[in-house]
Amino acid sequence: MTPYPHAREDRLSAKTGRGELIVSDLNKSFTINGQPRRILDNINLTVRPGEFVSIVGASGCGKSTLLRLIVGLDTEYSGELRLDGERIATTSLDRGIVFQDHRLFPWMTLEQNIELALLNTDTPRARRAQIVADHIALVNLKGFEKAYPHQLSGGMAQRAAIARALVTEPRLLLLDEPLGALDALTRVHVQSELQRIWMAQRSTMVMVTHDVEEALYLGDRVIVMSPNPGRIRRIVEVDLPHPRDRRSPLLHRLKDEILAELTSGADADGDAGNLVHLPSREAR
Amino acid sequence: MNSLLARFPVRLLIGLAAPALLIGWWQWQASAHIVSFAPPAAVGSALVEMLRSGDLLRDTLSTLARAFTGLAIGAPLGVALGIAMGIWKPVDRVLGPLLHALRQVPMIGWLPLMGLWFGVGEGTELIVVSMSAFFPSMLNSHAGVAEVERRYLEVGSILRFGTVQRIRFILLPAAMPLVLTGITQALAFAWIATIGTELLTGAGSGLGVAMGQAQMQQRLDVMLVVIGATAALGFVINHLFRRLRRSALRWQPSLP
Repeated sequence: MTPYPHAREDRLSAKTGRGELIVSDLNKSFTINGQPRRILDNINLTVRPGEFVSIVGASGCGKSTLLRLIVGLDTEYSGELRLDGERIATTSLDRGIVFQDHRLFPWMTLEQNIELALLNTDTPRARRAQIVADHIALVNLKGFEKAYPHQLSGGMAQRAAIARALVTEPRLLLLDEPLGALDALTRVHVQSELQRIWMAQRSTMVMVTHDVEEALYLGDRVIVMSPNPGRIRRIVEVDLPHPRDRRSPLLHRLKDEILAELTSGADADGDAGNLVHLPSREAR
Repeated sequence: MNSLLARFPVRLLIGLAAPALLIGWWQWQASAHIVSFAPPAAVGSALVEMLRSGDLLRDTLSTLARAFTGLAIGAPLGVALGIAMGIWKPVDRVLGPLLHALRQVPMIGWLPLMGLWFGVGEGTELIVVSMSAFFPSMLNSHAGVAEVERRYLEVGSILRFGTVQRIRFILLPAAMPLVLTGITQALAFAWIATIGTELLTGAGSGLGVAMGQAQMQQRLDVMLVVIGATAALGFVINHLFRRLRRSALRWQPSLP
């Protein structure tokens, strides 16, 4: 199977870049109680254009920090972050993000929220309404254009947030536990939606999640991270075409493997030292 | 049961129960001569007399004009400064301590000083009323902008908002509930300050002036009419403004 078996749409090939993310020798530290603490340790990763990459790991492994760096909200790091060869130094409309909390502005309707994302794009004003309508349709929210965020259910609001992030046609879409706050049933539903949207949109997506099943269902590859400091422990190729069947034996086998990997983490040689130095962190 | 209680005529009836009891008690007091009280009937005839002569209307209008002029001067200044202080920290650092110290002085406390500077009259009254409207507007607007959630500002950063866009699409709307709370408070403060300054300066016409004159003439009935008018008007204005606020904030999940 080829790394990205899906033919790319015209809309994306027309853009300058194709959405290739290269992370090399990335290190990130925070100062906690006056002492520097390494959060991300020597991360190396290449995300191919149009690929869906999932990142799983225990809390505290720096996966959300990694996304904040890639999106440009945090710019203090050492190493290299490049999107289509260009070094990431700040936020950009080329990189969209969906957070765990939908972050729609409560004072605007769904439609206004999505249109606001186009404010600083060069999209002609005349076309904006149509583009907004298309994206509302893409996330199956037709009929809710005039609704305020508090009138939407959690799953709907999250889909609206996805539409807002996609409306600028970013080359790279980052998803920071986008379904983390949803109940199990809604979650499964929005996962399928997300797969459908990705197949229709074909932008590069990087999703952080703590749900291994979700990571495998959506990802072309799953990056398994270990905490203290955050490191890439393993990269799992999920060699299954989309759309996927949740009952696939391969997904179940990989899930068991990854879970074993994640839970055995504390006993592994490499992390034993950390356990001694940071017992309080493990105890959480 | 709850829906019955929520109906307007029923709510009105229940709301009028306490005033009716008060009037009953008052009639009893007046006839028992325990304290100096005009009986409701006397107050009623005073009301009719004051309505007929146009005095009540004239006083009411000048008090309203004074209160709203003060509000129109003080509230926008307070909102503007409060927002500026919330957005630009240096403005807060420079002006914050001074303003927080000044607001400890009760507004009526400024009257003697203003009277010395500007004379006892319309100007002084307006300055004090404007100041009363200024402080609650400023404090609430400042808090509204300062407490805007960081996560919304991050969205602005991701969507590449400039300063003006950030203020217009995030800071102002996010602060709006508290800004309007500030203006609602300013309205109440301005109303109270207007009556207070009128009573103390006694200049021109107004409900407060009428109160002072009634005291000198020992017209208990007139005094009670004016007090009643002040209470009723204040209530109506506040109620109207709260409705206005609610319709301006219909994006909020629910309002008390």
